[in-house]
Amino acid sequence: MSFSTSPIHSHEPLRISGLEMPWNRALRAAAETSTNDVGRAEVASVARALAPYRPQEFLAECVEVCDEPGDMMTFMFRRVDGAPLSFRSGQYLNIEFPVHGPDADPVDRSYSISSPPTRPHTFTITIKRDPKGLVSPWAHDFLRPGMVLDMLGPVGAFHLPDADRRARYLLLAAGAGITPIMSMVYTIHDLPGDADVVLLYHATRPGGFAFSDLLEYLAATDSRIKVYWSLGGHRAPDDWAWMAGRISAGMLNEIAPDANGRQVYACGPEEYLRTAEELLRSVGVDDTSINMEFFTGDHQTRAEYAEEVALASDVAEEAADADGAEPDLYGPDAEVDGGGIGVPVNVHLTATPVVPETPVSRVSDADSPIDGAEFATVGEGSLTMSFVRSKLNVRINPDERILRVAQRAGVRIPANCQDGMCGTCKIVKLDGDVDMNHQGGIRAREIDAGKFLPCCSTPLTDLVLEA
Amino acid sequence: MNYTLTRPRPDTPARSSLISEDTEAELSALLERRRKGYSLEGPFYTDPEIFKADMEGIFARYWIFACSIAEIPEPGDYVTFDFGPYALIVLRDDDGGVNVLHNICRHRGARVLTAESGSTGNLVCGYHSWTYAPDGTLVHASTAPGEKLDTSCFGLKKAHSRVVAGLVFVNISAEPPADFDDVIPLIEPYLEPHDISKTKVAYQQTIVEEGNWKLVMENNRECYHCDGHPELACSLFPTWGLQEGMIPPHLEEVWERNVEAKLALEARCDRYGLHHEVLEELDTRIAGFRISRESLDGAGESFSATGRRLSKKLLGSLRDFRLGRCSLHLQPNSWFHFLSDHIVTFTVFPIDVGHTIVRTTWLVADDAVEGVDYDVDELTHVWKQTNLQDKAFVELCQKGAASPFYEQGPYMDSEYQVEAFINWYTQRMREHLA
Repeated sequence: MSFSTSPIHSHEPLRISGLEMPWNRALRAAAETSTNDVGRAEVASVARALAPYRPQEFLAECVEVCDEPGDMMTFMFRRVDGAPLSFRSGQYLNIEFPVHGPDADPVDRSYSISSPPTRPHTFTITIKRDPKGLVSPWAHDFLRPGMVLDMLGPVGAFHLPDADRRARYLLLAAGAGITPIMSMVYTIHDLPGDADVVLLYHATRPGGFAFSDLLEYLAATDSRIKVYWSLGGHRAPDDWAWMAGRISAGMLNEIAPDANGRQVYACGPEEYLRTAEELLRSVGVDDTSINMEFFTGDHQTRAEYAEEVALASDVAEEAADADGAEPDLYGPDAEVDGGGIGVPVNVHLTATPVVPETPVSRVSDADSPIDGAEFATVGEGSLTMSFVRSKLNVRINPDERILRVAQRAGVRIPANCQDGMCGTCKIVKLDGDVDMNHQGGIRAREIDAGKFLPCCSTPLTDLVLEA
Repeated sequence: MNYTLTRPRPDTPARSSLISEDTEAELSALLERRRKGYSLEGPFYTDPEIFKADMEGIFARYWIFACSIAEIPEPGDYVTFDFGPYALIVLRDDDGGVNVLHNICRHRGARVLTAESGSTGNLVCGYHSWTYAPDGTLVHASTAPGEKLDTSCFGLKKAHSRVVAGLVFVNISAEPPADFDDVIPLIEPYLEPHDISKTKVAYQQTIVEEGNWKLVMENNRECYHCDGHPELACSLFPTWGLQEGMIPPHLEEVWERNVEAKLALEARCDRYGLHHEVLEELDTRIAGFRISRESLDGAGESFSATGRRLSKKLLGSLRDFRLGRCSLHLQPNSWFHFLSDHIVTFTVFPIDVGHTIVRTTWLVADDAVEGVDYDVDELTHVWKQTNLQDKAFVELCQKGAASPFYEQGPYMDSEYQVEAFINWYTQRMREHLA
């Protein structure tokens, strides 16, 4: 007989479908709020606080350093200003390293964020030591808790979508290419939702897999995540129980026979990525579903990344004083290579706030006053209704129904049931508020478009009406 | 004068018969002597009296396909359609259900809704503004002082509906045949993974074919003529309807590809838990149907020249684009193709003996963005072309059926589903006249 500390057998939990990033709804609200809506400032400020709108320049203090397998080290930071770091999982930071001492010009390098944006109060980068390099040996040897670095970010179009109701991913990582992928796996683990993640992770030797403890833990405890380890080098030791060999069609088919329908995120050396791309195409993965981040590359690739950082820097400087919405450089609508960015669950998200289409023809040019100041005024009552087409102001009391008063004053409005059922008298309200008690003669979307039924409405304020 | 209007006859049924006893006798004789395996005699395609009998014996009795819920996604959304002398409204109600109402005002019979589709609150007749609630209840009719009208007696007449995996079927008989309810659980598991409730209409095409509705259906039930569909034949194997041993020499190479693609598809379906077995009871039950999941040529994903996907967003819970086509044929008026990236529905509404509406609707995932994930022209190209080619074939046959020299011709082996349709029709009409 065996005893367990957990008396409940763990069955698959019931989950909502798809993934949604924590800032998705705030961005959506900001996008759907028109510039003259009440509460717009509040919505925008929530969106700004949560959303990875744009790159910023900020100072970050190193708070923890730890060794990783594979000659890697993970450095944890927090922002000096105490703000959480908003970013999309997969993006990177451009960091200034004072490798020549505090008084000399620093050297800047880009590193993917390896922690998830779901834990934004600290964040980590993970650096592989390149003995021939300038920055990585310095970081390994001298970057220690308490040091403060200048950073720019987040940067990059390689990231998980803000919302994805399908949420089936094939993640491919080779060597240090695991860093943005690590963030993605952890992000998905942190979020609710019925996701499906397959990670194929290549390293050159058995002890060379950075984050192996964490990934093993996530794969063991989260049924949505599967991790496959493969030794890409020549000889796998006899006691190696996982996969061996470079990425191949057979390997791909074994771990993800349904790759055809997955979104792919791949990060690693250029040669590895070119091979992966070719294999993915051969099983019918669309170019728009393949997202790649190069960790090595030819001159052109490096130039493109340099350009991306320069643009981010410009935007950060411009936005530093600006208030209001900034362009979302890497959002779903941004024109970037290697798209594959999912459209949000049940919503159409536009990261840049848009003024909704004006639903009705408004009389708003300066020449035709909509306050009816030039119209003749008839009738009696405490409120005024201005009929812009009839060019007539009609006085009305708050307890009187609008249709009857208007008709008596000679305004032509066709009507039938006079009780909110048939909709015959439907007209557009250009300004003011009414109390309407209809009985199905008008739809919510018509009301949203500014229409109402005067037969069953009483005025709450002065009105400007299109009749 | 004061008087009370009440309903003269409670539960007034539809007028009993549209056809004369003479026609009934002639039609019975024609049905009785129908030559099995051969096309119908000319009058079935050309005689207006037999058309009336078809409407009464088939369209007024059996379940017909109207539209999908993607066409009426919001409460108040509706579509209208006529077939023969009948006119219906299918309206999405506030609870997400579907109301089917006869589009005939209870005042003086005017069409209540005149648009093919739209959105409405109450339904207001344009003639005298009789106003009906979405469930058909008469809620307003203007009256003179003292004039009384018992509105409870003049609601729009209702018809039956069933929503099957998002497909709306309607039935205008008093007692719909129960067999359809037994077919629903057979076909739903094939269709549900494509999740129509999360699709939107990308395009709809309504064409009028100058041919009898039965010719339209017959033409759909065989691919013997698929040499006439060069665009469709790129992805839909023109060997459809054939079996081992029936392959003509010019299709042997295609057949080999077809067999290979079939095996790959079946393995994939088994992996994903999708049904692919052929269920075929086209004329062996009242609700005649055929459903299957069959491979496509080329990349095996969709109806394009290369077989590649036409929309980049997978439907429903599907995990792979290479899922061929899940195709459903139903008697008497519809067929469907459910693919991984889009769905095409086809519905046939007879107008008169020589004119038939074919309405084709393309559905894509409701989060697919036009111009980004799909291009409407590319999406619709193959079936638009195919529909035009089919229209021409049907019209050629209609012309022939009117000639005194027209004689019944034999259905070929690969046209066994045409025979099944005609056999189904013949049985139903015999039952109707019995």
